[in-house]
Amino acid sequence: MERAMTKPSILTLSRQEIVDRLDREARVRLGMTVEEFLRKYRAGALHDPGEVADLIALANLLVEDDPLFAAA
Amino acid sequence: MPLPDLPAYLGRVRELTTQYQAGAPEGFDAFRELADLILRITILAGHGGVRLAQGPRPNTLVLGGWNGPTDPLPLVNDRYLRVAVTFVRGRVEEGHRIKVVESSYQYQVDPEGRDWVFRYDFLRHPPDPHPASHLQINGEAPPEYLPPGVSLARIHFPTDRVSLEAVIRLLVDQFAVPTNEETEVWRSVLAESEAPFLGIRHRSLSGPAG
Repeated sequence: MERAMTKPSILTLSRQEIVDRLDREARVRLGMTVEEFLRKYRAGALHDPGEVADLIALANLLVEDDPLFAAA
Repeated sequence: MPLPDLPAYLGRVRELTTQYQAGAPEGFDAFRELADLILRITILAGHGGVRLAQGPRPNTLVLGGWNGPTDPLPLVNDRYLRVAVTFVRGRVEEGHRIKVVESSYQYQVDPEGRDWVFRYDFLRHPPDPHPASHLQINGEAPPEYLPPGVSLARIHFPTDRVSLEAVIRLLVDQFAVPTNEETEVWRSVLAESEAPFLGIRHRSLSGPAG
């Protein structure tokens, strides 16, 4: 059984890295901006949020008063 | 025939469970190591690994693939499991606790997830009236069995919170995904790690313990 894991166990992402990933993926997968994606999700208006549950998790790493949520 | 790794695995599971239940900041990594252990003895490909992602928000980490929650875990059958679990450490009456606030497990054929098979979600903001905890299956049913214009994949079957152990059992027992360790080993380890999640006096395990 292979079990070696030599890299650090925590991946640290800056705000900009998170926002860039969210914006890119929201446009490709949902055809919308990251602001629109987050606004719809938080309003319970995203048709199938499980489809992008990985992006929702990524957004959870931003502080609650992040400008992105305010814009959303 | 003795199973030399089993006592060591069970001991490590108990240690990690104790660590994350203590609610200290180190508990995040105990969660990660526990998830890594149960995936590694079962369905995880040798080159895969789980990692915690951390951003600016304090006391919040996300368990996912090596490059974060958008990076699915490679499985031994050349398919993928997308894991996205958000943990928050917060104050409770007795001190601190680490709890899961959202989770999603998606079994998929391709890395991008366009060809997915099923997923379990536990989300805070589901669209009304979908249940917060639900199962979706990317299958087919005769159109006359479904509401007009709705595919089976868009039906959200309500569930309770589903554990990672239950998803692994489902993949092994019913989707025939091979495992890295013998059945007697991984079943015992999964039972040991799943029991605290379920609260053993109230809910049954998702499968046999051995």
